[in-house]
Amino acid sequence: MKFLKLSLFFAILAVAITACSSDSDGPEETVDTFDRSAMLANWADNIVIPAYSSFNSKVVEMEAATMAFNETPTVENLQSLRSVWQDAYISFQNVSMFEIGKAEELRFRNRLNVYPTNAAQIEDFIATGNYDFALPSTIDKQGFPAFDYMLNGLAETDAEIVTFYTSNPNAEGYKNYLIDLSQTISSLTNEVLTSWTGGYRDTFVANSSSSASGAVDKLTNDYIFYFEKALRAGKIGIPAGVFSNGTLPQNVEAFYKKDISKELLLEAINASVDFFNGKSFNGNTTGPGFKAYLDYLNTIKNGENLSALINSQFTISKNKANELNSNFVQQIENDNSKMLATYDELQRIVILLKVDMVQALDVSIDYVDADGD
Amino acid sequence: MKNLISSTLIFSALIFASCSSDDDQPIVQNTVEAPATYKFLRGTESTVNFDGQTTRILMAGEIANSFMDFDNATEASLLAMFNHQAGNADFGDADLNASDKNLRSKIAASYDYFFTNTSETAEIRADFETYISSQINEVFPNRMVVATPGVAGQVADGSRTRYVGAKGLEYNQAFAKSLLGALMTDQMLNNYLSAAVLDEGDNRQNNDNGVTEENKSYTTMEHKWDEAYGYLYGTSANPENPNLTIGEDDKFLNEYVGRVNEDSDFSTIAAEIFDAFKLGRAAIVAKNYEVRDEQIAIIREKISEVIAVRGIYYLQAGKNKIIDGDREGAFHALSEAYGFVYSLRFTRKSDNNTPLFTKTEVDALLEMLRDSSDNGFWDITPETLDAVSEAMAAKFDFTVAQAESL
Repeated sequence: MKFLKLSLFFAILAVAITACSSDSDGPEETVDTFDRSAMLANWADNIVIPAYSSFNSKVVEMEAATMAFNETPTVENLQSLRSVWQDAYISFQNVSMFEIGKAEELRFRNRLNVYPTNAAQIEDFIATGNYDFALPSTIDKQGFPAFDYMLNGLAETDAEIVTFYTSNPNAEGYKNYLIDLSQTISSLTNEVLTSWTGGYRDTFVANSSSSASGAVDKLTNDYIFYFEKALRAGKIGIPAGVFSNGTLPQNVEAFYKKDISKELLLEAINASVDFFNGKSFNGNTTGPGFKAYLDYLNTIKNGENLSALINSQFTISKNKANELNSNFVQQIENDNSKMLATYDELQRIVILLKVDMVQALDVSIDYVDADGD
Repeated sequence: MKNLISSTLIFSALIFASCSSDDDQPIVQNTVEAPATYKFLRGTESTVNFDGQTTRILMAGEIANSFMDFDNATEASLLAMFNHQAGNADFGDADLNASDKNLRSKIAASYDYFFTNTSETAEIRADFETYISSQINEVFPNRMVVATPGVAGQVADGSRTRYVGAKGLEYNQAFAKSLLGALMTDQMLNNYLSAAVLDEGDNRQNNDNGVTEENKSYTTMEHKWDEAYGYLYGTSANPENPNLTIGEDDKFLNEYVGRVNEDSDFSTIAAEIFDAFKLGRAAIVAKNYEVRDEQIAIIREKISEVIAVRGIYYLQAGKNKIIDGDREGAFHALSEAYGFVYSLRFTRKSDNNTPLFTKTEVDALLEMLRDSSDNGFWDITPETLDAVSEAMAAKFDFTVAQAESL
């Protein structure tokens, strides 16, 4: 409605201006002839599919390392599995934003990365052996955060953790849970990747219309939703207490591993920057993306180019994030103001993307905040 | 636009005023002055009391939560909460257990709509009991099942899990949102603000003469008005100045007056409702029944509007999710909408004694939502949701677009 009033205002203004300027040549019609298909193709071929391929290979390694650990549960094998898990978790930050097509259908991000994970119920699932990861109510008992608990959260030392998989009376239950977690991640990832390579890519690129159901509008929404909810709120805002009374350090990403929260955040910011700039996942070449589209539309804000404004805000955010302790629990407990400062810079990006960029691109935001029940 | 209309009205009023200045008609003066807050005293004693309403709102909150208490709730336990008898340990709150009030007896129980319509009362109460039995017998057994068309169970709504019946309806939502119509709205608009109740027996005479109820500080009429007030503000953090926290104080009428007030098209509605309650109560103290009745008309119009606006808002939110390919994600909004549509039955025209929506009309809308296809929400179309929305908006002077957007 605000929009309506505003457009009415502009319509009247336009009439007034037209009336006054009827003698002049009038402004040139601006028609958006940006090649949206080429942008979609660049996204699919140079960013999305390579990122999923790379992530998939990490996930396959993780499954193999899980099997090796289950076969020979030693401290050494635990550590190598942990290292592969960490690589895969970092790699996941490059695909998490693409919640479209098969990923959307499978609720990919929610299946792989809902945190905090529910340790008590994981223990319950392990004890009973009775669980179904396809159930929506199990999203906080699976994925990378559940894996984090299984590898880092069962006990203080690695030697003690290994005993859960060796001498524990229900060692088989722990092993089964671990392999089920790993196989679920890997089969979901495989499903998304093969959907992209098996035909969805063409559907996606062909869907270049400028409408709410067009691929540009949809992925733009997914990208901004991801940045606002999963990155800004999930990684920083929620644990830093922005939405609650008091901080919630137990809600950081990778809570049990602890010292990689910052690395996961930086990877996610970098992936967002690269996607914004249309930069290929492999290599340094850039193709058509938001930046090129905005430059084409020659969007100016405060006398500055909007894409430059966004990129510079990305840099500011990254610099702020770089000041953080690699362990966010420590950062929150020692000096939460740095978390809040990072949040503020990320929030400025959200405004640039969600207000200025979508206005320039003529995309409407298709999600609203839930009303809390 | 509204401003334009009201300035036109004021302007025409001026014209009429100047035209009629010669005749000797007494000009009815609005001599009632509204106090700053809902605070009324007789001597030093407050005359405001709505304990019964507060109790029922709290009972409604507990039973709505118990719908999701998979580990403890039974059909018997929910029915016992619904039809509580004094002293039974049905609730977690000891005060509620001790109370002789219950929800069931006040559902579809208003003087104006149901005094001579007990067969419909029975039908409506049975609807609530059906929500209870369906939750226990249909949804609870399928707690760990992924819902599919015709099969109850879980659906994902973003990162939340919703538990739906075979047609995609969340019975807890249907129950709670139907209750805010069948209990809170019906009691408020059609019972306590009814002339038949406010002016019953010697109420006017007693109010005129300051005759209070036995051992109470208030007249009967004052108390009836406060009971209407309590169904909206009964759990407010500050009941004398309830708009400070409007929307935050319950999960029923208070919440949705707050939500609708956040919509820029309806951003004065909470103030208008409170002002009308406040001025109407002051009018009773001032024995000015004309001003009182004007306020009743405002409250009826605005509360009815809240229900329709929020219902359309949820219908459109659900529709947009379906269009976006997230059908299961739409079920929650559609379940809330279902309850709001049900509640239309209890809304009211401001100027006379008739409902805004007849039973037949509401039943037809509910049937469109529930039965326009075999599997309810699983295959309801955006066109149907638009048709229901338009039918609702047609009774008011706002549009679907205004209700849909914030």
